[in-house]
Amino acid sequence: MKGKTKTEVGTMSMYLFKKKITKITLGIFLAGLIAGLCFTILYPVIQLVPTIFSDIEDLGNPNIIWLPLNFSAVSFKAAVRFILPDGWMTMVKSILYASSIIVIQIFFAAMAGYSLARVKFPGSKLVFFLVILVFLVPQQSLLLSQYIYFNHFNAFGLLKLFTKAGEINLINKPITLYLFAILGFGVKHSLFIFIFSKFFLNIPKELEEAAQIDGCGFYRTYFKIMLPNAVPAISTVAVLSFVWNYGDTYYTNYFNPDGPYLSTILSTTFNSANKDFVVNAVKTWFGLPLATDFAFDAVKQAGVLIFLIPLLIIYFIAQKWLVENLENSGLVG
Amino acid sequence: MKKKTRLKYSTKRKINGFIFVLPFLIGFLLCFAIPIFNTFYYSFQEVSVNKTGGMKFDFNGIKNYVSLFKDEVTTDSQPMARLFADQNVSILTNTPLIVVFSLFLALLANMKFKGRGLVRVIFFLPIVLGLDVVVDMLAITTGGEWTQTGSGLFSQSYIAVMLSRYLNLPLSIRTSLISYVDNIFTVLSQAGVQTLIYLAALQSISPSLYEVAQIEGATKYETFWKVTIPSIINIILFVSVYTVVDLFLASPIAQEAYSFAFEQSKIGTGSALSVVYIGNVLLALGLVLLIMGKAVKKYER
Repeated sequence: MKGKTKTEVGTMSMYLFKKKITKITLGIFLAGLIAGLCFTILYPVIQLVPTIFSDIEDLGNPNIIWLPLNFSAVSFKAAVRFILPDGWMTMVKSILYASSIIVIQIFFAAMAGYSLARVKFPGSKLVFFLVILVFLVPQQSLLLSQYIYFNHFNAFGLLKLFTKAGEINLINKPITLYLFAILGFGVKHSLFIFIFSKFFLNIPKELEEAAQIDGCGFYRTYFKIMLPNAVPAISTVAVLSFVWNYGDTYYTNYFNPDGPYLSTILSTTFNSANKDFVVNAVKTWFGLPLATDFAFDAVKQAGVLIFLIPLLIIYFIAQKWLVENLENSGLVG
Repeated sequence: MKKKTRLKYSTKRKINGFIFVLPFLIGFLLCFAIPIFNTFYYSFQEVSVNKTGGMKFDFNGIKNYVSLFKDEVTTDSQPMARLFADQNVSILTNTPLIVVFSLFLALLANMKFKGRGLVRVIFFLPIVLGLDVVVDMLAITTGGEWTQTGSGLFSQSYIAVMLSRYLNLPLSIRTSLISYVDNIFTVLSQAGVQTLIYLAALQSISPSLYEVAQIEGATKYETFWKVTIPSIINIILFVSVYTVVDLFLASPIAQEAYSFAFEQSKIGTGSALSVVYIGNVLLALGLVLLIMGKAVKKYER
């Protein structure tokens, strides 16, 4: 600071001071904003806790908001009894179902995505357009005729060769859901094909060519080279597919309503039309004649919490590589 | 001799590629083409049960469509036109909210600060908490007047009270304003996947672009509009389309079609409803593409 006068040094430090103040204020503002957003996202879950663990007969008391007066696990026990009729096996079955659908979806979506991205067979553009079309038209709008068609499933009349009637009823059979996944119509399957095709488009061509020069055939190149390199896309699709299949109520409710799916059990048991039944059951099971309609909400929300446990566990394990692999996942590009 | 029977390598590759998409194509025919054709067909027919137990079809023109909007009511006994109007208004107003808001969340999650990992975990939590079944079940359905005003965060807050007391807005604007603020969890709960997509896009923007902008002396604001937005404009388009599709998937119209067909055994009317539903979705998507397409063109020039 040799050549500078006192005032120059003063303005300099004033400038730095101002800059620091702006930075701190901005920091506090952003921290508050982020904290607020996090709270808003978590609010419905935080709100569950006092409702679930408070005494059933205390519910609806406007003086009790955040801290239950008397702790009790009755609503939790009731929820377990309602939504886990076979004990925890129901949950295990649900998880197994979602896991097997994931494997099927990844297998078929990755194949289709690879072919659409890398093999230019005649009509591949048309197939890509069909994938987009399937994505855009909601499956739900076709529910009615899909239902009727699967009720009298004839597979282009091919089934005449195997059965007498020439058709089978596929409604309320677990196989129907797997059939949907294999045929590329599982939950958001077309989105997964899209993600995979975007991903494979960005893998360097040289990799494939090197494998071919070394003598790998089409299938060997795909299964030994391309698929193992697709881990970012596979992990992203696996997480999304698990969440959506485990939480799916559309396919399970309409095509296999009696199946052991936690989401179906949850949505049918705690249908608002079922309110009196639930409240009465709680009254008799636990000897609580004073239970009101509020008990329905408490048991229902305890049920949601049980339903969420595996999802949250998987989510917390998976989120780390979900974020790490995001860039290369094929979601963008 | 051998050369003749062997297929050329590129032909073989094309055949194998076709085999890879074959499951999807079969599925497209079985689960999409046939059902969509049948839906159109049923919607112009009077469907009844014949003596052998099969379905009997009698052509009746557009009678199903007329009766759908004239006579039929939804399960909440509201007119059909009302259901469609409500759904469209809520979807088309929520879409821009979700598209902008999830971009905002992604920008926040992309900043560098302590505890970023935890914030990202929470920001993506709506992927789990936004499942239809969870949202339905979390809603409080019973209780006195004090919960019925809404299970939202802001409905009874001081902000809402202050807004209605001190701001001299007309009642209709005020209530809709409050209801949108109150809907913040609905918006947040639908924003999980969108935030994920945006964050992936933001991470793939080359850092050297930002460096150049900084050296050239651009402010943060300018950098956002001149670097960030043009780099992700295609992703914004994709997110908008995804959001519209996703919101329509969650709409209760499909359940109405099911209830027509299997609870009131009016397959024709239910099919007509499905056709109107498909048309509505495509129309809404067309609108979004029209608006967003103009924005994309502007940036691509």
